[in-house]
Amino acid sequence: MKTVSARQLCFFLAFIAPVGKLILMPSQIVFDAKQDLLFSAALSYLLQSVIVFLVLLAAKKDKTLFALLRERLGTVGARVALSLLALFLFLAALLPMLEQKLLVQSVFYDTLPSILAFAPFFLFSAYLCFHPIAHLGRMWDILMPFSAVGFAGLIALSAGAADFGALLPVGASGMGAIARGTLHSLSWFFDSALLLPLLGRIEQTKRLPLKGTLCYLAGGGAVLLVLAVFYGVFSDIALRQLFAFSRISKYFPGVAVLGRIDYFFIFALTLVMAFYCAMPLHAGVECLKQAFGDTPVRAGGYTLAVNGVMFTLSVLLNYHFLRTQTFMTHTAAWIFPLFPALLVFVLLIGRKHEKA
Amino acid sequence: MKKHDRLHRLSVKLWLFLAAFLVFAFFSNDFGLVDIQKTAVILAAGIDKGEDGYTLTAHIAVPKGSDRSKGGTSSVNIKGRGDTISACISDIYADTGWVPKLVFCDLLLLGEEAVQENSFLVLDYFLRNEQMPDSCQIAVCEGSAEEMLSSASAIDDTSALAIEKLLSDAAEKTGQLTRTTLREFSIGYYGVSESGKMPYLGSKTQSGAESAQGGAQAQDASGGAQSGDEKIYEVRGSALFSQGRMVALLSPDETFAYSLLQGEVRSGTFLAHENGEAVTLYVYKNKGSVSLSLGDVPEAALEVVLRVRVADRDGATDVSDLTSSIPSDALLQDATAVITQAISSLWARIGESECDLFQLRQQLFRHHRGEYELWRERLLSVARPNISVTIRPVE
Repeated sequence: MKTVSARQLCFFLAFIAPVGKLILMPSQIVFDAKQDLLFSAALSYLLQSVIVFLVLLAAKKDKTLFALLRERLGTVGARVALSLLALFLFLAALLPMLEQKLLVQSVFYDTLPSILAFAPFFLFSAYLCFHPIAHLGRMWDILMPFSAVGFAGLIALSAGAADFGALLPVGASGMGAIARGTLHSLSWFFDSALLLPLLGRIEQTKRLPLKGTLCYLAGGGAVLLVLAVFYGVFSDIALRQLFAFSRISKYFPGVAVLGRIDYFFIFALTLVMAFYCAMPLHAGVECLKQAFGDTPVRAGGYTLAVNGVMFTLSVLLNYHFLRTQTFMTHTAAWIFPLFPALLVFVLLIGRKHEKA
Repeated sequence: MKKHDRLHRLSVKLWLFLAAFLVFAFFSNDFGLVDIQKTAVILAAGIDKGEDGYTLTAHIAVPKGSDRSKGGTSSVNIKGRGDTISACISDIYADTGWVPKLVFCDLLLLGEEAVQENSFLVLDYFLRNEQMPDSCQIAVCEGSAEEMLSSASAIDDTSALAIEKLLSDAAEKTGQLTRTTLREFSIGYYGVSESGKMPYLGSKTQSGAESAQGGAQAQDASGGAQSGDEKIYEVRGSALFSQGRMVALLSPDETFAYSLLQGEVRSGTFLAHENGEAVTLYVYKNKGSVSLSLGDVPEAALEVVLRVRVADRDGATDVSDLTSSIPSDALLQDATAVITQAISSLWARIGESECDLFQLRQQLFRHHRGEYELWRERLLSVARPNISVTIRPVE
């Protein structure tokens, strides 16, 4: 069976996972935590990194998610749990997908483009979903340089325009505001859930859980750096700046002479984001494949159904983005750390089912 | 095996095709195609407030046709009226059928009336507009913005281009103006200081001027070429804002003092005297800072360090005098007194107007959080200035 190597997994955790946090999450956190946004984001990262560590511990058992769940919950229970995980992943995909759609329409088009400008994403996503999930490893290999160059370029162009004094005074927003910032950012943290369908397909090396978690925290460090620059550039108007990463670099003095050279880096990160947005759908389809069979016909059926539904939702929610965002970041936020944590606890400490 | 290889190659081709299609759809920007016949490319916008709402004068670039004998830029001014800025934009669309496009707008000019109350009633629309670059320059003008934008420039194709040159980066280094972008003004407005500044512009008639370079082509909304005298635009100081309202006007000397305190002057000049003779000093290097410290009462340390040389004297010097550009101690003393006086005058103006130009409240908030509430309201009225001016010659 094709597996994801430890190197590829670390690339995902350090370079691919962070890009999903760069569009609307910064302004969402600023809304609550203001200049203490780094604390809110760091708490979210720490919470998620604990779950990532536990998932990688579970991966040491070297069994698929379905096999592990069947041992604990029986066949029916495992199918129910996998179906719930698939639903969770489809829910998790919604906000990144809609924010990416807004990003493309607002940043890359001078006028409002037709809805078809984003439609190819679903063709792309469907193609990805149809393939076995272990193919992600090769994809992460290819995406890593795009992400690394994108991050480095954006920081290099924007750090000079940032007033890092804007992050002072430390802690002035209060613990309540920092906690709210953390809570309302949780819907962007579902990376541990993306790893769950990969169980049994991850190449095991020495201390992989620790190395993987450290890579995830390193990626978090890069996100915190972008957040610091973002608040340094926009200060008290940061909460109005949607699409944070695409805005911070345009004040580089060279832009006035050379034009928007920062678009090279923005394009690179947006490309990585497109793959990242499709990953929850891919992982969700993999859950369905494990639970209900993965014949080509069934795999094609899940793929078409999932992407068809998501495309329909993207059209239907076109004029309800704020309501959707509020639902995801306020009402449903608690689900994002809780559900994967619950599942991984079942895998690690759940008692074996009698019929297993 | 062969079938498997063929399928694999097909899979890779399909993958590449889809990835290319995605990139094409995301980044093509519809190839940037703009139907120029239906689009108003706004280069600058002037906003005035009257009793019947707002008037927005859009300075729009128009194609000059195929006559290559005339270079330069053509423009037309279109006015839109309404109770909100958005309504003004819609009015332009309704009147002309042109879709106003703000993505190239580099200048927002506010008329005097528009800044008598909260100017953010006007600027808020532009800050929220996704297409509007928040790096655009903003300025206040004497009289109405409509009049200024509609006037014919004596030195450039259009008034907007002439004003933008006036607000250039190079001009700022002379210390005679302080540029402000929409982003910077907004940060000041929404920050704890609730203060900001903009260049204050005026114009004067240039008598006997020939037509502008490249053939000025500014037209009014009726399509006729503008008539009347051609204008030269000038910066007449800096408008100070508190809570979005214009509260004071800095003189050119006070503006220069402010620029020195910001450490932004690289090639500016100022006047001092030596033995009753006027001498122009050229600033080679400038460092400046304003820092707040709290003792019994807050104290603001205003510090300027300059390197200068003599640029010109009101009198001829001997051709063999190779040291005439080195300022004497007496001249440096007078120059120090001139700058100190300008800073004192600037400080007094800030105290009177309650405009936190130096962002002292922000410093108080960031570095003295515990005493922020105690001093916040009366900081500008009770803070003592400690002015330090050091001028050294370039030898």
